[in-house]
Amino acid sequence: MKNNLSVKIILWIAGLILLTGLPHVIGIYYTNMVVAFAIFSVFALSLNMLLGFTGLLSFGHAMFFGMGGYGTALALTHIPGLAVIPAVGIGAATAVLLALILSPLVVRVSGTAFAMLHLAFGQLLFVVALKLYKITGGEDGIGNFPMPGLFTESLSTSPVHFYYLAMIILGLCVWLMWFVTKTPFGQIQVGIRDNARRIDYLGYQVPQTKAVVYVLSAFFAGIAGSLYGLSHNLVSAEGSLGLWMSFYPIIATMIGGVGSFFGPILGVAVFQGIDELILRYTESTELVMGVILILVVMFLPAGLMGFISSLMLRLKSRSCKNQS
Amino acid sequence: MYISQAMHGIAYGMILFLIASGLNIIFGMMGILNMAHAAFFMLAGYFCYTVVGITGNFWLGLLIAPVLTACLGVLMERILIRRSHAAGHFGELILTMGVASVIVALIKKIWGTESLPLRVPDILQGMVSIAGMNYPIYRLFVIGLALGVLALMMLLLYRTRLGKIVRAAVSDRDMVNALGININLVFMFVFGVGTWMAGLAGVVIAPLLTVFPGLADQVGMDAFIVVVTGGLGSLAGAFIVAIIFGLLNSFGVQFVSQFAPVLMVAFMALVLAFRPNGLFGAKDR
Repeated sequence: MKNNLSVKIILWIAGLILLTGLPHVIGIYYTNMVVAFAIFSVFALSLNMLLGFTGLLSFGHAMFFGMGGYGTALALTHIPGLAVIPAVGIGAATAVLLALILSPLVVRVSGTAFAMLHLAFGQLLFVVALKLYKITGGEDGIGNFPMPGLFTESLSTSPVHFYYLAMIILGLCVWLMWFVTKTPFGQIQVGIRDNARRIDYLGYQVPQTKAVVYVLSAFFAGIAGSLYGLSHNLVSAEGSLGLWMSFYPIIATMIGGVGSFFGPILGVAVFQGIDELILRYTESTELVMGVILILVVMFLPAGLMGFISSLMLRLKSRSCKNQS
Repeated sequence: MYISQAMHGIAYGMILFLIASGLNIIFGMMGILNMAHAAFFMLAGYFCYTVVGITGNFWLGLLIAPVLTACLGVLMERILIRRSHAAGHFGELILTMGVASVIVALIKKIWGTESLPLRVPDILQGMVSIAGMNYPIYRLFVIGLALGVLALMMLLLYRTRLGKIVRAAVSDRDMVNALGININLVFMFVFGVGTWMAGLAGVVIAPLLTVFPGLADQVGMDAFIVVVTGGLGSLAGAFIVAIIFGLLNSFGVQFVSQFAPVLMVAFMALVLAFRPNGLFGAKDR
């Protein structure tokens, strides 16, 4: 047991050193890619909190992602001398505010109605963001806002610096989300997914629990969106609130495996890897993506994570047979 | 002025209804939200463009293109959807999204990305004057065609044995299967009819908006909103909401041009806020 622990610690330290040294090894292009990967991982994980762990499919998760981005961008534009961490906080708070407004309405429903309600609100927000161009910049979005660094003049001039900042914030988010699944609260969440009525009979308050999960999920999506806006120095309606942004985490979660904690991360990795490869060889990303989606659903209905775990199971049973 | 605006609205609403009802009947029976529906709708427009390009006959296009589309729909049901039940409804949803993405990509490959105009035959062009008012003939034709299809569907659903089976399968497909009816065949048929209607809508909308790869997103999203607002699985709901949406769209463009898209989405949000299953939706699905 002690041996196991020390192996774990060594692995953690090795991982940290790798992450610290990464930007100096792989160059700016790939550093930015790693940042994007981390951002979308947190976004997909926040969706999986709803989808995989509470059984609520949302077609409008980009709402919170976009709100985080707009909150941060507007705060940095209009409040002079604002530091970057409070700005990210403002973004997350904006997303949480939206979730608090919506939660009394949405926690009463589930299933298709929940998904559709979010489609409606997400589209509403998207169109409103396009039309209120005096505040949001319309189609152009808000760009070139100041990005004060923690130690440097501006984050936009030093991507490595931004990499560290993003990694620390996003790493904390991932750890927090993982932590939540291990608490009794996380178990109630899974209970609601599997049998909401039973959880109700056991004396837990289902709508209230759903509301808390919902707000938490919005919080993490907001942070992801805020950092996404910072990484591009641009927040636009199409880029942050569009329908594709709502479907991206759903598809990534599906490819990775619904319900397993690390599934969405794997899904985002596969997604990004494919995107990178496709763009190198052919223009039509849509075609390859479509074919991959079809193949995954046809042959790996439990996602890549499900495939891996069934493979492990088979290996284990084989080694057991060999021993006996 | 108002009347011709209303005509625009009703014609667009009818087209929305053609798409929405196919989507609706597929969902009602199989529980699948077919995200590829709008892609089929657009594909039919392109088929019609090609048929007209070869034969020079719009009527032939109107006849052939939806049937071709329906064949593809049936193939998709048979080859892909039927084999993916293990993935659950959620998986099927993702599958249809994949199909939609493949169709759109292939369309861009084959026909290119610029918008292609489609000319209607001379009989359907120009205006006709009824009681001192001028109406564009083509829009009247669209409304008439959609009403005809609606009547046909009503007859099929409520006056034939097949319609009875379909309606029974909507309420309990396992029971129908247990009664010895080949439910898979019925599914295939319904999928075909649904995509045929989408194809018909795609052909009739082509002369109005031209054919371009963004058509599926633009009109498809509206049709999707119609189905959701009217209530998944409810034909009457889809019809009423489609007309309301068509009118909202055309009058909205006239009076509050900037905020016309907001109107429709706000209407959906309002309806869903108070009736999460849509105006005429069943209680639990």
